[in-house]
Amino acid sequence: MNIATPKFGVGASALRKEDMPLVTGRGRYTDDVHPEGTLSAYVVRSPYSAARFTITSTEAAKAADGVHLVLTAADIPHIGPMKCQGVATQPDGSKHAVREMPVLCESAVRLVGDAVAFVVADTQALARDASELIEIEWEMGEGIAETAGALAEDAPLVWPELGTNRAYTYKIGDERATEQAFADAAHVSRIAFTNQRLISNYMETRASLGEYDAERDRFTLTTGTQGVHGVRDTLAKDNFSIDAEKVRVVTNDVGGGFGTKAFNYRENPLVLEAAKRLGRPVKWVGDRTEHFLVDAHGRDNVVVAEMAMDAEGRFLGLKIDLKANLGAYCGQFGPMIPVIGTSMTTGLYDIANIDVTVTGVYTNTTPVDAYRGAGRPEAAFLIERLADTCARDLGLPVEEIRRKNFIRPDQFPYKTATGRTYDVGEFDGHMTRAMECADWAGFEERAEEAKGRGRLRGIGMATYIEACAFAGSEAANLELNEDGTVTLYIGTQTNGQGHSTAYSQFIADKIGIDFDRIIVHQGDTDRLAKGGGTGGSRSIPLGGVSVAKASDSLAEKMRKVAADELEASAADIELVDGEARIVGTDRTMTYADLAKAASMEDRKADAEIVQDEATYPNGTHICEIEIDPETGTSEIVAYTIVDDFGVTVNPTLLLGQVHGGAVQGIGQALSEEAVHAEDGQLVTASFQDYTMPRAEGLPNFTFETRNVPSTTNALGIKGAGEAATIGSTPATLNAVVDALYRARGLTDIAMPATPQRIWNALNAV
Amino acid sequence: MTLSIHLTVNGAAQDVALDDPRVTLLDLLRERLHLTGTKKGCDRGQCGACTVLVDGRRVNSCLTLAASLEGAEVLTIEGVARGDELHPVQAAFIANDGFQCGYCTPGQIMSAIGLISEGRLDGDPERVREGMSGNLCRCGAYAGITNAVLEAEATMSETAKEAAE
Repeated sequence: MNIATPKFGVGASALRKEDMPLVTGRGRYTDDVHPEGTLSAYVVRSPYSAARFTITSTEAAKAADGVHLVLTAADIPHIGPMKCQGVATQPDGSKHAVREMPVLCESAVRLVGDAVAFVVADTQALARDASELIEIEWEMGEGIAETAGALAEDAPLVWPELGTNRAYTYKIGDERATEQAFADAAHVSRIAFTNQRLISNYMETRASLGEYDAERDRFTLTTGTQGVHGVRDTLAKDNFSIDAEKVRVVTNDVGGGFGTKAFNYRENPLVLEAAKRLGRPVKWVGDRTEHFLVDAHGRDNVVVAEMAMDAEGRFLGLKIDLKANLGAYCGQFGPMIPVIGTSMTTGLYDIANIDVTVTGVYTNTTPVDAYRGAGRPEAAFLIERLADTCARDLGLPVEEIRRKNFIRPDQFPYKTATGRTYDVGEFDGHMTRAMECADWAGFEERAEEAKGRGRLRGIGMATYIEACAFAGSEAANLELNEDGTVTLYIGTQTNGQGHSTAYSQFIADKIGIDFDRIIVHQGDTDRLAKGGGTGGSRSIPLGGVSVAKASDSLAEKMRKVAADELEASAADIELVDGEARIVGTDRTMTYADLAKAASMEDRKADAEIVQDEATYPNGTHICEIEIDPETGTSEIVAYTIVDDFGVTVNPTLLLGQVHGGAVQGIGQALSEEAVHAEDGQLVTASFQDYTMPRAEGLPNFTFETRNVPSTTNALGIKGAGEAATIGSTPATLNAVVDALYRARGLTDIAMPATPQRIWNALNAV
Repeated sequence: MTLSIHLTVNGAAQDVALDDPRVTLLDLLRERLHLTGTKKGCDRGQCGACTVLVDGRRVNSCLTLAASLEGAEVLTIEGVARGDELHPVQAAFIANDGFQCGYCTPGQIMSAIGLISEGRLDGDPERVREGMSGNLCRCGAYAGITNAVLEAEATMSETAKEAAE
């Protein structure tokens, strides 16, 4: 048997096949879908972070021009709340009490933007106008936004009946053994910092289109998701208490997700309920302000971390106190995010003893949930800032403290003190390579030259390891169509990552078919039996292996059918260029003819490869930065990344993920921050105040892979969607601190290191 | 009150009756002319997703009142390719992987076309970054975008030279 290597196989730098509609304005995002007769909806939201309220009348709003429906909590007692699926286990083994977001608030609001009514009208403008006619009596309460402050004894309570804003306590590690490690330590280094709150800011704001088929008593929701099945199941089970069969969820093009489009949001059940009552499609489109206010936020931890070391700087024990701001309600996975994060908190280091305490805290703010990396960026930032601090305290080079403490290649598989099992890794290998690429050795000379120009130059690194593709599977269903094309059905959901291209590469590898003859279907619960969605960089490690396996099976069936038709042995059939051919002859049959000859059974192949552990991509980021002490502005002048992704499927797609991730992580280090007033008003609720990275001021990235194939994953793939977000934030901040340390002996700066903060730091000494 | 305006969109004359003077060019395009290629990212001129060309100049269509466009020539992403032949900027965005989710892309492409025609780039990546800094891309494809604009500028000036010869 002989399968020629296709030009678009695994490893090829294939350009994306999904691009043509997107550059010509023919993309189809949720708000581009507008069925005949669609009505527009508007959500009436709380202007206060904490208040009790009574809706005294909706009559004027209902009678207003073009209005079809006004819903308040009293109208929807049958719709259940937005359930938390990520409840943490406390030290005594109990699950903590959860407070969940109602679809519409009944008598109390707990954050600015909390939903109190839903207005449906002919146009959005009319719905908005009518919303002002709803009579609401507000009784303002006292809110609290700040994490640590919420635990103070006299803090206002988000949920008074709980008697505290402490939502849960989660512990991991061995408290006594760690205490002993600290007692034995020659040195202890300590850091205290806030990993600030971030806002996802995908460019496409959320939108939801609800339709209802009365004859079949069945809902259809069209919305941007990271997987249709998860949203369908929560809608059916948690909101409507109906069979999943009664709900169809469709996702078309998605304008970015980054974790925070994975959830079911309250506007989804609202448009469906309204569509059912009105017998017409109902669409809600969130504006940018609503995105800032109500879509799940990310990060927001207040941390104290200490490392016990021996006299040589070997890490003996790690103690962490982490307070995680949950917002006013438990998000869909909210409480689990710091739990997942702290499981990666030992990083790439061999640390025998840990003692981690996580405290989940309610505040009068938007729920915090999974945002690109979901706990892992927080973990990497913690350990990599701490590693630099340890090095500085001991007077060691930052690479030396890392080298002393890295898990060595001969220690794999390595079980961390948090219970994770890393399969493989060559940490010193990528760090050394990154230092070569960045010309680490030549830095002093460059710093000296910069000094001559009045600039403060610093260099910083972060090594990182993260967990991807959590144990599980993603089924792939393949079908050879009558016209000779091949269709893949898979329940992951591209948000711009290029799934169609990547999956097609796996298929092209096995079936010898042109890229444009492969059709990839995602995003419709009616066409896909099941799906785990996209998140945690799982689509390629889990989905890809199933696609490859299903392609193998389909290829085998196709060879058998062709062998029968061409009167040859299956072993002598090759699948090349869309044809089955007897090797070394000109006897062929097209895939279209093959499909006609095949039974339905022989035209289909399924696979679902189960993976028992996560995969662990890792790498090194090195950032070189220059600060202008006159203005406090910083400029990244060089940026180097060396990553171990196991196996590369498509270098072009990979580079896009790495660049984009690094830009987001640099954004956290230098500019992005969700700022609340003390009482919970979000003061950074537009792009004017929330500083997103722009084209200007970003560096050219030097990137290479130094892959060590995963032994956990069937194809050696580790996952790459979040990695650069994880490595870039600590690398960038370490570079800023290095510059400040060299210039003024400063050892820390709060994140984001804005020009103002840098200027203040430089001028306070 | 109904306002009547006449303008050209992608080469086609349009007579539009506006029942509301507050209608923006963006809403006119998306909701009334069903040209949904132009995107709404923030509706307040801070993200650039809605960028189109009006009389050859880049504008944020979300900040432009339709009523102010009497006699204007508007070019949107739908009017850029010639049949199946992509505009050099469109082709360069594909060739340089200048986007991921594609939502900001129509605005990026229109902004790039306008920027190149302003004629101040001279192949300088810093000028491209500065000139494109009004267009946010949360997927962070700025490196690809910068390369795409540089490549398209080079292609277009080559083509212009050939045409002149």
